[in-house]
Amino acid sequence: MQVVINETRYQVEEETSILQLCQMLGIKIPHLCWHPDLTPEARCRMCVVEVNGHVRAACHTPVCDDMVIETDSEKIRNYRQLNLELLLDGDHTFNLEEDNEFSRLVRELNAEGSLGNGRTNGANIDASSPALIRDMNRCILCGKCIQVCQFVQQVNAIGFSNRGHDMEICPVFGKSISEAGCVYCGQCANVCPTGAIREKDYIEEVKAALLDPSKMVVVQTAPAVRVTLGETQNLEPGQVMTGRMVSALRKLGFDRVLDTNFAADLTILEEGTELIHRIQYDKPLPMITSCCPGWIKFAEHYYPDLIPHLSTCKSPQQMFGAIVKSYYAQKIGKRPSDIVCVSIMPCTAKKFEITRPSMNVSGRRDVDYVLTTHELGRWLNAEHIDLKRLGDSPFDPVMGMSTGAAAIFGSTGGVMEAALRTVSDLLEGVDLQRLDYEQVRGAKGIKESALTLGNREIRVAIAHGLGNARILMDDLRKGTSDYHFIEIMACPGGCIGGGGQPKPTTQSTIKKRMEAIYNADRSLPIRKSHQNPEIQALYETYLGQPGSDKAHRLLHTRYNNRKKTLGDLKDLEI
Amino acid sequence: MQILKNTKFKAFHKALSLSAEEVIEQVKTSGLTGRGGAHFPTGLKWQFIHKEKGPDKILICNADEGEPGTFKDRFIIRNNPELLIEGIAIAAYAIGANRGYIYLRAEYKNLRPHLEWAIKNHQNELAQIHFRLDIFMGQGAYICGDETAIMNSIEGYRGEPRSKPPYPAQLGLFGLPTCINNVTTLSNVPLIIDGDWSDFRLFSLSGNVSKPGVYELPPDSSAGDLLALGNPSKPIKALFFGCAGGCVPYDPKLKLSKEGVADQGAMIGSFAVIAVDEDQSIPAICRNIAEFFVHESCGGCTPCREGNVKVLNILNRLTSGDGIPEDIDRLIAWGNFIQDCAFCGLGQTSNNHVLSALTHFRKEFEELCKSSSMKPVTR
Repeated sequence: MQVVINETRYQVEEETSILQLCQMLGIKIPHLCWHPDLTPEARCRMCVVEVNGHVRAACHTPVCDDMVIETDSEKIRNYRQLNLELLLDGDHTFNLEEDNEFSRLVRELNAEGSLGNGRTNGANIDASSPALIRDMNRCILCGKCIQVCQFVQQVNAIGFSNRGHDMEICPVFGKSISEAGCVYCGQCANVCPTGAIREKDYIEEVKAALLDPSKMVVVQTAPAVRVTLGETQNLEPGQVMTGRMVSALRKLGFDRVLDTNFAADLTILEEGTELIHRIQYDKPLPMITSCCPGWIKFAEHYYPDLIPHLSTCKSPQQMFGAIVKSYYAQKIGKRPSDIVCVSIMPCTAKKFEITRPSMNVSGRRDVDYVLTTHELGRWLNAEHIDLKRLGDSPFDPVMGMSTGAAAIFGSTGGVMEAALRTVSDLLEGVDLQRLDYEQVRGAKGIKESALTLGNREIRVAIAHGLGNARILMDDLRKGTSDYHFIEIMACPGGCIGGGGQPKPTTQSTIKKRMEAIYNADRSLPIRKSHQNPEIQALYETYLGQPGSDKAHRLLHTRYNNRKKTLGDLKDLEI
Repeated sequence: MQILKNTKFKAFHKALSLSAEEVIEQVKTSGLTGRGGAHFPTGLKWQFIHKEKGPDKILICNADEGEPGTFKDRFIIRNNPELLIEGIAIAAYAIGANRGYIYLRAEYKNLRPHLEWAIKNHQNELAQIHFRLDIFMGQGAYICGDETAIMNSIEGYRGEPRSKPPYPAQLGLFGLPTCINNVTTLSNVPLIIDGDWSDFRLFSLSGNVSKPGVYELPPDSSAGDLLALGNPSKPIKALFFGCAGGCVPYDPKLKLSKEGVADQGAMIGSFAVIAVDEDQSIPAICRNIAEFFVHESCGGCTPCREGNVKVLNILNRLTSGDGIPEDIDRLIAWGNFIQDCAFCGLGQTSNNHVLSALTHFRKEFEELCKSSSMKPVTR
């Protein structure tokens, strides 16, 4: 095909939309509702171009032979200005300086609008959930949140309601988000161009804790944060920032910088032991991982009959919280009430997880505040802390050491691979050479594999994205599933594609982050969880054996059937 | 009237004696075009769906007659439903459809028994071509007259148009090749197959006339011919072609054809003619129409959802006497923007009324601006 774009002739081979073609050619076309991983719905109409003299939306118009395309004619520029004026009407608390997709676009196109004059002014802000804020005063109805919720995650917590100028995006029957069966994966917040759906911000609370001299504030950092934090400062995706991240956190004033990866290793020991136990004693199989709070809430709402399959292990974040306010407190001679535990997570559902009633073995919340990667980036930018200029700094001891197995927790397939490294060693009773399980890696939505561990065949499956999880769970419910072990992560790509990660998160950024994760794994001296000396010390001096009574009290949990309420409020323990 | 002729399924049996291709060829050579407003050649549309492979194809009869001032489909369904069912049967045979829906406008629920009666009467003929026909009630949205919004509505989704491509002929209702034809289009089909057919147009005449109603006229008829039938009591100033078609100044010699009206900057659409006499204010009519589009916009795209509110605000201001001279330029700017940038036919035609009124009746708008040009306004 031959097309002419802005008076230059191009030869085009593959079938593509005008917008994608222009992006490949480096021709800028503004857009808001288009996302590379979603089907174009052409709602915002920012991407209009002239095609053979007609105005067309570039995002859903396929390139045809002999097209003459104008992306920047006077007419088009005028239309974009008018369109932005209309969109600015929809966003009432618009702030030109803010760092979001919409503000950037308005800055770029230098648009003028009549603010606060239009549609949804005065809508209530839905702050009913601990994880997400819905502020419909800011919504420009691009519909991306609905697309990810309905088609990628298949949760259907939000949808369009009403028509025309009264149209809004809301949970069913105008309920609050906490009553709508939302799992707080935050994928909606990740694609939102204005911040109409965004994570609930706890930066101020954390700052207050840092200023309180009676408190010792410890911070833990999730495996997926170190490979994405750079993106919040416009660095290329896929850079491992572990040392600089630790330095930055120290600069912010945290008393101890510890590592969730330590707890990830701990999780593997508990979960691996549980798996072996389940196989040996004919307990419900397959066992399904429980690291992902979005997935757990999803299972509680939509597959409560499968709860016996969920591993009883807490997530690494909560294991960390439980240990930091018991073992660690004891070690450093502090009372648990004097410790404030903050975690930096790629995830919005983690903000909900800390509020679960069983997550308070120390008598108070094990983890006090969760900040997402996105929030931490915003905080660092506000404090003018430039990651590029920081040197590396190590984690603090006792709960700062981790292995390659923990590093890969951030990627889909990572928990599975980490568990396999440990379980195979435990079953064989030797230190196996084998470290890489390529068949559980990669971006495929559902991965499956059969392995021989010890003298047994172990069949495993991995799903990421809740739409894919539904497929595996429906099979399990029907009884057509013969796996031993299933790993599920709510977000596409696993935690590296989490709802709290820097924007934009797309298949291509996920791929780069994934490469970084596996590079981090390879670069570590120890790559099996059970060989982590700090973990060995924890068991020797405090917990006893994996799966011991004490370990169960601190590191395991129970789940609730949420089928009837679809809400968060009635957290009755089963 | 030709459209009241009942061919008593003679044409259907005649069609069965022909091959599907021959039926399509006959419809093609007749020159029948879509009567819903888009004027797409019917035979050609059928050919697209006929060519698609696969055992399951769908025919939708669009009876969501929502265009203000249009009531020809209602007339046919009430007075000659069997002709429509026969047309549907012939179309189903020609394109090879095994499933059909009549998408009936919610406000026409009183017509449902007419259709049910006609379908029941001809269950045997429909069974003969293994065609199942159901009535699907709309829920009162103008946008669901759009062919892709109909499909969303039947599938149980929001009544919002889909993007094309993929076209309904390839990926239509439930992902199957789908043909969507208007009631009047399908009702003409038996007459074509039967042989004795003239390309008459059904006009829905309303407005300032003493005899509003459905009139059948030959294609080269003029506005004078139609208005003579309507017998207005006062001199007519303008003709509006529904809400979406825009308006023209009344000229008895104006040819009421697609081309004749297009030359005047309006669209004949579904042949709805609203006569407006000299006592009426054109800006006030435009204000009413703008209100209609604000109400009926699905909200899917920005220009139609937000832009039409801007247009309505300006027209509200003008008609309440608070207009300022820039308002006219702003109306034109918003109108052109919405026309060019909106997603679907509804949005793209939603400002024909104000743009054509500003071409032909600009003076009336200007007079409304003069009175209060010194008042401060907010945008």
